[in-house]
Amino acid sequence: MIEHGPLLERLLAGEFICAVSDENAHRHLSSDETRDAIDSYLRPLNRRLASNQDASVYFLAWRQLNDEAREQLSRQLGDTVNSLLPLLEWLQLVQEALGRDTLAAPGDVLKPAEFSAKCEDNQSLRERLERLATDSFFGSQSEQLDAQVKQVFKRLKEHGYLMQPHAERQVFVVTGKIDYLVDLVRFIRDEENLPIDADSEEGAQESLL
Amino acid sequence: MSGEHALESRLLKTGSERLALLGRHADVLMQGYTRDEVPLDNLSDSALRKLLAARLLWRPDEQSGVKLAPKVRELIAEMLSDETRRHVNADVAETLELIRSLVHSYREARSRGEHWRQAQQLLRLRQEVDDLNGRFADAIDSLWQRLNSDFGFVSQLNDKIRENDRAQKQIARLLDGLALIDFDELIELVGSDGSLRKLLISQLQQQLSHHYTSLREVQRRLIELMARFRKQQARSRLVSGMVAFMREHPGFVPGNYARRSEVPALFNQAAPLNAAAAPALDRALDSHVLSELLHQLPTPRHAAQIVAAASPAQLPENSLAAARQQALKQDVERFYLAVLDQPQAEPVSALDYLHESSLEWPDEIWLFQVIAEFQGLPRSEQRAFRLHQDESPASPFNDLRLIHDVALQLAIPL
Repeated sequence: MIEHGPLLERLLAGEFICAVSDENAHRHLSSDETRDAIDSYLRPLNRRLASNQDASVYFLAWRQLNDEAREQLSRQLGDTVNSLLPLLEWLQLVQEALGRDTLAAPGDVLKPAEFSAKCEDNQSLRERLERLATDSFFGSQSEQLDAQVKQVFKRLKEHGYLMQPHAERQVFVVTGKIDYLVDLVRFIRDEENLPIDADSEEGAQESLL
Repeated sequence: MSGEHALESRLLKTGSERLALLGRHADVLMQGYTRDEVPLDNLSDSALRKLLAARLLWRPDEQSGVKLAPKVRELIAEMLSDETRRHVNADVAETLELIRSLVHSYREARSRGEHWRQAQQLLRLRQEVDDLNGRFADAIDSLWQRLNSDFGFVSQLNDKIRENDRAQKQIARLLDGLALIDFDELIELVGSDGSLRKLLISQLQQQLSHHYTSLREVQRRLIELMARFRKQQARSRLVSGMVAFMREHPGFVPGNYARRSEVPALFNQAAPLNAAAAPALDRALDSHVLSELLHQLPTPRHAAQIVAAASPAQLPENSLAAARQQALKQDVERFYLAVLDQPQAEPVSALDYLHESSLEWPDEIWLFQVIAEFQGLPRSEQRAFRLHQDESPASPFNDLRLIHDVALQLAIPL
């Protein structure tokens, strides 16, 4: 258990562990034995190891859902729902600004400078960024484009969607928590029967493998 | 014999001449490759005639312009690994047909003892087998190129999905082609001829099984990549769909999943816990480490604080000790008042007062406090008293003076 000390600490602090944020730890967590060991360690803390469906991210869940835990989860759900639209709009904005044909995915490298430059040249992107940055989730107070972008990236890093490999370099890497976010969206769509284009083909292709 | 040699040398000559045309008109041909038609501005009539005769160019009909022959286009695509235009030729059936007839001619020539023709047929057979082999190798190379670049030659995800689909169909055709080659039939065909057996059985079989493995591998990877493309496409659609929905329904709130009897796994995320720790000195081993850490602490950069300002940071005194200190101080003050009340202004011994008033302070503490009280008085009030110290040297050789008692006396009669 000793070798997993730092990992446990990060999990307990509420971090999501993925192959981008910590490749080693993620590899350890893919072993049943390690997961069992961590689970039994977490038992007295009323926590257990959980993952999304693809097991691309690991995090801690409540073991027993007592009233206190449910209270906390309700609050958290409220926060999640409130942050959903700004986060998804940011994903779209990045995709469009950088001229990509796919959403930012774990491992993608994002540079705030490049993002600023693209938004600067395009009035519509500029306006969308402005609206997004001043949203209460990102909470930028500035009118400067660079400061707004900086704030947006800072908040995304705080929330674990991005990581910054070198503190002094303005280069960010998308983490596996984005997968978790997309899973949440998919779950809400299915659960609430939202009229959103269903991805029926996905299952068909995967079943071929 | 000599006629056949003449034929061969004429072939060689014409072939070289026509190949040279490719080099001489490379620019024009490349322009034709990138555009719909070959530009004729820089081409003389005789050059155009030669290019048409060599079937490097062709004219679909009288009205239309001159175009690159399909084979030339293919050759260029192949040379450039231009994956948008590279073709995969999986037509194995015709090659097999050709091989069969070549084998028959070869055997005929052998039975008639026509050695030169026999050698020619063997050469052509070898070339056909090499071609077949080369076609598979080329196709597989082209497939790997496309796969490894993630279909980077098209930018849109939808195009990538279409290209991937096309590549998968090519693989299916190539695999079908491989399945047409029946080695039992070939074994029967070559009979006991050693060189044919080597060429058509052992060598070909080895090469084809290698191609088969490669094709299966490419196919597996293509399907994987396709799944990834589809997944990306689904993600994009999901996110844009949700954004559109939430914009249209600003008040949308999903159900409170946390209140369900079965909380969905995704939403069960435990509250963060801070694994805090503080330095502890209850283990001798650690105290050494801690003291080292203490020494390593950077010295604070700010200037020393004024004592008055720093007073709140003083350690809170033990309340019991503070109470006793206060009691001692009050008793000493009463002693001073008693001296003031002395009508004769006689010196009063502090120890005598202590013993008489049955206070329980140790003598030494009492004397200290009496002296301290005197020192603590404002100078004007100090002048109202005189403090006599009854003292003696500690020993003849030591000038340390020991105070045995103090006597307080009013200096100015009131």
